Amino acid sequence: MTLGGTVRGVITFLILILLHYTLRPLLGWRAPMDFLVLALLLTAIRVRPAVGAVIGLVLGIVSDSLTPDALGAGAVAMTVVGYLASWLKAVFFADNLALNAFFFFLGKWIFDVIYFTVEQRLGGIELIQQVLLWSPLSAAGTAVAGVLLLLIMRPLLEPARA
Amino acid sequence: MARAVRSSGSSSSRIDLIVLGAAAFLALAARGLPPNMRDPLASSMRRTFLAPLVMLQERAEASRRSLLLDADRTAIRDSVALRAMAVSALESENDRLRELIGLGARLKWGFIPAEALHGRGVRDVTTMTLTAGSNAGVRRLSPVIAPEGVVGMVSTVDPTMSEAMIWTHSDFRVSAMSEDGAAFGIAQAHLGSATTGFLMELRGIPFRSVLKPGAQIVSSGLGGVWPRGIPIGTVLEEVKTAEGWARTYLLRPAVPPADVGAVMILRNDRATKGFENVWSSAAAAEAAAARIVVAGDSAARTAALAEAAARRAALDTTRRDGTVGGQIPGGLPPELMPDTSGAQSAVPLDPDAAARRAAARRAAARRDSIRRDSLERDSTGRSPTRGI
Repeated sequence: MTLGGTVRGVITFLILILLHYTLRPLLGWRAPMDFLVLALLLTAIRVRPAVGAVIGLVLGIVSDSLTPDALGAGAVAMTVVGYLASWLKAVFFADNLALNAFFFFLGKWIFDVIYFTVEQRLGGIELIQQVLLWSPLSAAGTAVAGVLLLLIMRPLLEPARA
Repeated sequence: MARAVRSSGSSSSRIDLIVLGAAAFLALAARGLPPNMRDPLASSMRRTFLAPLVMLQERAEASRRSLLLDADRTAIRDSVALRAMAVSALESENDRLRELIGLGARLKWGFIPAEALHGRGVRDVTTMTLTAGSNAGVRRLSPVIAPEGVVGMVSTVDPTMSEAMIWTHSDFRVSAMSEDGAAFGIAQAHLGSATTGFLMELRGIPFRSVLKPGAQIVSSGLGGVWPRGIPIGTVLEEVKTAEGWARTYLLRPAVPPADVGAVMILRNDRATKGFENVWSSAAAAEAAAARIVVAGDSAARTAALAEAAARRAALDTTRRDGTVGGQIPGGLPPELMPDTSGAQSAVPLDPDAAARRAAARRAAARRDSIRRDSLERDSTGRSPTRGI
């Protein structure tokens, strides 16, 4: 990856983190879109799986620090999602918006499943409801937001031409 | 070559797996931290490099709360504004009712309180319906007044209701005079243009009598319907008319017809008794001030006279005490006192007994003096109120 690509990737990453802590609480939806997962996915496809896992770990620890009771759950989920996104990038991340949307949807849903499983706060019917109802809705919202961002931020995300 | 590439790829995969394992282990370790270690770790991150993000999230949530509350706040603000408009009308009505109660207290007797019901038609600008009739003692031509002054007079009477002619009616007349009694005339509605509507005019003022703008006009009591002294209006300016023998003045009425809500209907027996001190006026205030000054002077004069009398009494006492010697402080010295001892001086006296008697007399004189002083103070304190 070139220096320009790295800078654009960092800028995109920072914008998504800012959106996560501004737009997401402002909307306050029951099934919120997750810009941190989007940032992780868009970064992970540009790096090796190991780096993706480390970025996921750091991002998870950072997000978990705002919910100390779940400290580590988000880190585990993001580590796994970062690794998988980087590993599956060749399969999923093509120049196809529908495939990208499915990629975002799957990444967010896997994150939620791991997160709520490791967190162990919900159980029984609540966990099933969360994983099978609210998480897919949240993943769908995240996928839509991700596609929109891909369209809006295409100049930043496309590799520089020689 | 192919083996080398495969070998390199597998070692990379192995490294990736090792890093993944390490990262997952660290994450699970963080998850397994006891609360006493987990909370300080999270807190330190929130206070340091995560502080800007935490602040952003707080601002965003606050913005969301204010957005959600905006509709409720707008509704509350609107309802408060609506109530505030009603409060203004209620305050105005409350003030008028207070004034009416004050008028009732000054009239003391002989009046019938009534509500004025305004109509909506064109003709109703000049008449109004009152919620008191002949059962309450209302008679035809009874004066209708408000705390500010003349409103109109009763034209027709039913047992429970009556109709009053407001001063805006073209047939309404009231005998009027200036407050100082220098000029007399007839007050009636000014049937002028739309710009001078709802004004009054004072007609028939002798040519030699000039009224200045701002002069108060009151009812004169001539004619037998309206008692003397009820405010009618204030002089605005002189109106030029074709009549050369009298002046006509434009008046601002004391009672605007639109403001009439609650009124007093005067009974005939009350109207004949006069209205002393019912409507306060500048002349009455000046008279009251003059009375206060006179009362103050008389109090001072009374106090001075009492002080002179007390001094004379003290001198007399001293003179009497001079028969046995000794001098009361403030009195004449013994050598200047007239000799009134007579035969007693020839009798030899016991020096100790004489000293005791002199001391007793001095004490008695001092008590008398103190009592007189207190009487003077009492009379000085009472005099002004008696004068008013």
